[in-house]
Amino acid sequence: MKIKVNGEEQAVEGSSISIAQLLKLNEVENPGMVTVQLDGEFVDKDNYEATQVKENNEVEFLYYMGGGSV
Amino acid sequence: MKGFTTKSIHIERFKPDVHGALRMPVYDSVAFEHASSKDIQLAFEGKKPSHSYSRISNPTVEEFEQKIRVLSDAFAVLAVSSGMAAISNTILTLAGANTNIVTSKHLFGNTFSLFEHTLKPWGLETRYVSMSNPDEVANAIDENTRAVFLENITNPQMEVADIAKISKITKEKKVPLIIDGTVTTPYLFKSKDFGVNIELISSTKYISGGATSVGGLIIDNGNFDWKNSPKLAEMARKRGPGALMSILKQEVYRNMGACHSAHNAYLQTLGLETMGMRIDRSCENTLGLANYLSQHAKVVGVNYPGLTDSPYHEVAKKQFGGKYGGILTMDLESKDACYCFMDELKLIKRATNINDNKTMIIHPNSTIYCEYSEEEKLGMGIRPTMLRVAVGIEDLEDLLNDFEQGLDKL
Repeated sequence: MKIKVNGEEQAVEGSSISIAQLLKLNEVENPGMVTVQLDGEFVDKDNYEATQVKENNEVEFLYYMGGGSV
Repeated sequence: MKGFTTKSIHIERFKPDVHGALRMPVYDSVAFEHASSKDIQLAFEGKKPSHSYSRISNPTVEEFEQKIRVLSDAFAVLAVSSGMAAISNTILTLAGANTNIVTSKHLFGNTFSLFEHTLKPWGLETRYVSMSNPDEVANAIDENTRAVFLENITNPQMEVADIAKISKITKEKKVPLIIDGTVTTPYLFKSKDFGVNIELISSTKYISGGATSVGGLIIDNGNFDWKNSPKLAEMARKRGPGALMSILKQEVYRNMGACHSAHNAYLQTLGLETMGMRIDRSCENTLGLANYLSQHAKVVGVNYPGLTDSPYHEVAKKQFGGKYGGILTMDLESKDACYCFMDELKLIKRATNINDNKTMIIHPNSTIYCEYSEEEKLGMGIRPTMLRVAVGIEDLEDLLNDFEQGLDKL
């Protein structure tokens, strides 16, 4: 299936993948530092295992460390 | 891992070190390179966890923040340049002109100065209430209230408010509750369990590990819906639970230049590992000293929540797990007696700090609060006969001997 992660198209095997698996697949080193949006809705950290990402879903990984014009 | 100290030592590294260093190195570098133009764009948008510029984030500082986050079971942590930077950045993020904050009549002198002298001219109203009277807190909150702020053991008045009662009010009124938890740290006080939304800490104190460095922490417990905070509502729609941290990182903290230094973050990460033992020792010493002083004929009064006759003993016991912090105040007959006693001390330092390894003594009325009138000082509970003792981790017998010989001279 095809999904979008942070605006980039990504091909993923199978018909669905959990947020937790998607974080691993994208080598997010510390999931505790990221906030996840699925199709614009924030996903609670406790639901990363249960929440499934499906074909054409858009996922955003948001961090608080970057940012700003310097 | 269950124990606080075990966790503080063994929390897994957040990013592997290329050389396998067991201790996070000090990244004394201002700028960080990105692999591509796209990568630097994603980093600036907050969609890629990489560092760009050390005023915004730094690997050594990040390691410190993440350790605190795990130890306090928080949503996110921002390390800043001092405890006062933690307070000022948080208030500037939440409040502004024509709004108000509700706080205690009993405040650290510099915090009072921040509210009255620095922020008041910019249009922020501060409402002072008794935090020991929850009805006063409830009555002071209105539609323009942006936060309720208090210290969990006030310095130096030693007042301990019932935080669960206050958080019940702030939750009903949908106003964030901010606690200055410097003197307890997450080792003694689990702020999230008491409904606190933001905990602020001066990491200069217990965390630094012996007054090695200055720093502060803003801890977001992740239990407040930022859509209910007018200045953060728009960001909450974009960033959800990360709204507070996003505004700090992308605006207030960034623009105020309140960054923590990598070197101080290194020292404070090291200090964190021994903090539990040091807090245990200083709390034991303080209780021992309080018991001794309360029996001494030349001491007019002792104020310490660990004493069973303290009006705050029961609430402190409930909130801080049977430990009561490392600060007490004692009253002598007069200001002259206070000065005479201080000058006779041989071991204890005449200095201003708290939660150092060394025991220190100060006369708050003539120092920390010297810029205020006697009337203002009395309103804040700062009597001319009062001394503040910040107790360290020395052997108690040596501390008692120094107090004994000093009191003998009066």
